[in-house]
Amino acid sequence: MFSYILRRIAQSVLVLFVVGLVAFAMFRFVGDPVETMLGQERTVEDIERLRENLGLNDPFFVQYANFLLRAAQGDLGISYRQGRPVAEIIAERLPATLELAAVSGAFALILGIVLGIFTAIRRNGFAANAIMTLSLIGVSLPTFLIGILLIYLFAVELSWLPSFGRGEVVQLGGWSTGFLTQSGLVALILPAITLGLYQMTLIMRLVRSEMLEVMRQDYIRFARARGLSQRAIHFRHALKNTLVPVITVTGLQLGSIIAFAIITETVFQWPGVGLLFINAIQFVDIPVMAAYLMLISVMFVGINLAVDLLYVAIDPRLRS
Amino acid sequence: MMNRFWMATALAALMATPAVSETFRWASTTDPQTMDPHAVSSTPVLGFLNNVYEGLVRRGRDMSIEPALATAWEPLPEGAGWRFTLREGVTFHDGAAFTAEDVRFSYERAASEQSDVRSWFAPVTDLVVVDEYTIDILTRSPQPIFPDSIANWMIMDSGWAEANGAAGVARDAENFATLNANGTGAFRLVSRQPDLETILEPFEGWWGEVEHNITRAIFTPIQNDATAVAALLSGEIDMINPVPVQDADRIDAGDGVLVLRGIETRVIMLGFAHDHETLQNGAPNPFRDVQVRGAVAQAVNVDAILQTIMRGSAEPASQLVPPSARGFSTAQDTRPVLDPDAARAALAEAGYPDGFEFTLSCTNDRYINDEAVCQAIVGMLAQVGLRATLEAGPVSNYWPELRAGNFDMYLLGWSPGTFDAEHPLRFLVHTAGESLGTWNFGGYSNPRIDALLPMIQSEIDEDARQAMLDEAAAIVQDDMVYVPLYVEPLLWGVRNGVTLTQRPDNFFILRWVSVD
Amino acid sequence: MTDTPVTPPRSAPRSRLSMAWDSDVAHAFRRSPVAMISALVTILMVGAAICAPLIAPHDPFNPATLNLMNGFTPPGTPNMFTGESFFMGTDDQGRDVFSTILYGLRISLFVGFAAVGFAMVLGITLGLIAGYVGGLVETIIMRVADVQLTFPAILVAMLIFGVAKGITPPEYRNDVAIWVLIIAIGLSDWVQFARVVRGATMVEKSKEYVQAARLIGRSPGAIMLRHILPNVLSPVLVIATISLALAIIAEATLSFLGVGAPPTEPSLGTLIRIGQGFLFSGEWWILFFPACTLLILALAVNLLGDWLRDALNPRLR
Repeated sequence: MFSYILRRIAQSVLVLFVVGLVAFAMFRFVGDPVETMLGQERTVEDIERLRENLGLNDPFFVQYANFLLRAAQGDLGISYRQGRPVAEIIAERLPATLELAAVSGAFALILGIVLGIFTAIRRNGFAANAIMTLSLIGVSLPTFLIGILLIYLFAVELSWLPSFGRGEVVQLGGWSTGFLTQSGLVALILPAITLGLYQMTLIMRLVRSEMLEVMRQDYIRFARARGLSQRAIHFRHALKNTLVPVITVTGLQLGSIIAFAIITETVFQWPGVGLLFINAIQFVDIPVMAAYLMLISVMFVGINLAVDLLYVAIDPRLRS
Repeated sequence: MMNRFWMATALAALMATPAVSETFRWASTTDPQTMDPHAVSSTPVLGFLNNVYEGLVRRGRDMSIEPALATAWEPLPEGAGWRFTLREGVTFHDGAAFTAEDVRFSYERAASEQSDVRSWFAPVTDLVVVDEYTIDILTRSPQPIFPDSIANWMIMDSGWAEANGAAGVARDAENFATLNANGTGAFRLVSRQPDLETILEPFEGWWGEVEHNITRAIFTPIQNDATAVAALLSGEIDMINPVPVQDADRIDAGDGVLVLRGIETRVIMLGFAHDHETLQNGAPNPFRDVQVRGAVAQAVNVDAILQTIMRGSAEPASQLVPPSARGFSTAQDTRPVLDPDAARAALAEAGYPDGFEFTLSCTNDRYINDEAVCQAIVGMLAQVGLRATLEAGPVSNYWPELRAGNFDMYLLGWSPGTFDAEHPLRFLVHTAGESLGTWNFGGYSNPRIDALLPMIQSEIDEDARQAMLDEAAAIVQDDMVYVPLYVEPLLWGVRNGVTLTQRPDNFFILRWVSVD
Repeated sequence: MTDTPVTPPRSAPRSRLSMAWDSDVAHAFRRSPVAMISALVTILMVGAAICAPLIAPHDPFNPATLNLMNGFTPPGTPNMFTGESFFMGTDDQGRDVFSTILYGLRISLFVGFAAVGFAMVLGITLGLIAGYVGGLVETIIMRVADVQLTFPAILVAMLIFGVAKGITPPEYRNDVAIWVLIIAIGLSDWVQFARVVRGATMVEKSKEYVQAARLIGRSPGAIMLRHILPNVLSPVLVIATISLALAIIAEATLSFLGVGAPPTEPSLGTLIRIGQGFLFSGEWWILFFPACTLLILALAVNLLGDWLRDALNPRLR
């Protein structure tokens, strides 16, 4: 067991290194940061000097090694665009993304489970079929279009909800939260729906098919034969057995929620790490791009690792 | 879900109560990268910081030069430089007094190696403090438009900068001046959250006469055009810059908001690979022939582009600078006439009766509707047999590609930083070199232009200078060095009840804003 | 489940087609109006895309035939300068929206099918190998899959796009763009095929018929292809159908981020990206018609995938 965990962790670290190497090999194709950093009246000499200062004349693996060495000491470098430490910028922006991801994750999970149960129980009902079809419309359009249409409807035409930003935020020891103000909560609604819609549909479908499958199994038939009420069967027995795969999938989807936040954040001008990354690409801000990719990698690898370890803990057969 | 829905409605109703009218909120696509006035020479940074910092001179509503921290200036005898008399009784936002020492410090800072504005001081040999309120700026040669060229040179408090370790400019390290500011301007920086929100408040101790009535100004960057328009229409923002050209009429027609229209200083043009032997596809390069370049000019229907894609908002351009710029040649104010038949004939005469294939390089995130304009140009050129493949990409990789010579024909926008016709000659037309012709990607080279440039730069006599600028403009037109297309429009969306001034350099000056 | 189909009298040797028609799946298909309509819509769209040059009134990909002054013509009303009329209107370049949709559909479907095909081949191959061979090979393949999951689909696509732009000469970039899209979307999609196939392979591997095949000396390649693969195809088919819709939408999303099909030869996604710029300006048709086309296509494919999942799952019948 212990050696398995150790091996798994070692593999994860290796994965991180590979991700970093691939990322650094690709940066030079994004563009030349020096061109975007200097104004139009620069000289050739200015360009060369800045390039040298930033270490851009080094081969990419040297740049990568330097990045790793500094990162090991907790230094993620200085953003080319903002001239501030990347670690500081990421720390500022991460709460916005995490709060948005948490709210849209909760929205997807709760609504997904409720609608999933409903459509499974009323498998052939009109309402259930309507919900199944409607939910597909939500995933049949690209996210950016859904976001823009929501803004058009709720912010411009109806003036109910804000069109951009986080509203007013409160600082809680380095963490900026939008949960504590009215405007902060209101600002979350549209982006959270936009971001969570896809996951919601996914969870709803998963719950529905798991429910349908579980309800055909012997012990449910047995419970039914024993004369238990439909309600008890649905919720005490069927649902309980449905939730394990649902939670696993939700865990894995958390990472992709954060990744997809790039688009939602761009449309809603949501000041999270996704918008930061898009800005970084436009500006060829290599330190920020590197830090973002490593952050996402650590999160994904971490979630994968946790899921794998959980399986080991649950299933004794895998321990050998 | 229903509960949440009604809660949202109720909250929205609460929010709809009018905010304090003197708080002014504005949005633009780009966040100023830094609050350091010498670190980045770009319109978003210089435009924003013009509200916080001031120079010796400044530009008025009509772009004319007027006194700011200097009350008077005059050339030194024999073209040795300029003498500036400084304004007395001016204080910085932190209360420190403004003196000649601060000017000297700001000169050294702005002219240092790491500064992005050092090219303004290329002709300067020294800055001499004559007394506490008089300075001399000594130049290598006579510099007739020197005061114009330093309108955006902002003065920083030497004591403040030194106390906070911001005496130098740094692009690759942290610097106190990146997030903080201490100028003499009408507004002081209250809070700065990069990419998120920057708050300014009026500076009580400002020396000038207050024309605005705002008590607080909040800037938010909004990148997505549609989101910015939505924010303006829903009343969350008082002013956005820019308004997408296609949305201008609709916004104007709606209630509560209007569009301020103007003409910017940026000229959009087509550039050519003058010195390439071959095209990207390996064929001999026809653009070396002035007849071919002329055919391009005759084939592009600029009026149609302006009427449809630009919705009548832009002006056709005949030169590398807009008519409002200093030194514009009124004598050369004609564009090539649209004439596809003549273009076809010219191509046949040049040896390309069936036209040829080439690549048109273009940005898709830099200029207004740049990609759509290039697409339209591809269509127009195709009609005379010039079959272009459109290669449109983000600007982040555009300049490196052009610098590497990977182009046949390309789209370029140029905004003269000094607002003078000499500027594009220096960067776009002069033979490419270390500090001159740095944007002359096509490698055009003409000894007459190279000879004219230094003469223009040091000519004190206005008429003689204009004559030389006219000659240069005629050469650029006759050689079809570039094909100027149009001057970009300036479109700001403003909530009703807000009055402000739109300056052609796209700087948004807060002290001209008043809110009902 | 008493209403099993009545088998026809076995008089003549039955063609494969009629056998397929009589299978359980086909029977379920004939009883599901949703599935039939979805299939019909999908076939119609694919047909329209293939025949685009025959159906489309204009050729939007030939810049020489465009007239910029036709730009922004509303649907069904003559243009104020040229007097020409277009039943779905024109876009900002004066292109007939109906024709661009047909041609765009062609590109979107091509990208979708090719990307899913690529992901499928890659995922099945690696999944089979990982599941059958096991050991170090499996570890390497699954860790590579982790790396792939680590880079979310959009990021993978953006990076591949960036690299491809960097290494292809400008002359060929527009031709390459489509293939880059296919590889980028396919690469971000193979992992789920690999995971499903690997899981199923591990289950099948331990079954007796595979053991028997091994004993009689069949090569591992043959065992994987002839015995295991057919048994894992139905989940693969379901994933493939759903992935097709996802791939078409992913292409649209990438276009929004500036890495989609070139604007001179737009896909449906690029058309939507261009059209969303005119949402506030009143030219609704530039966005509305392409978006509706995408919606209907994705909906039909998704519904088909949904139905297929239920139909292929014997426990749900």
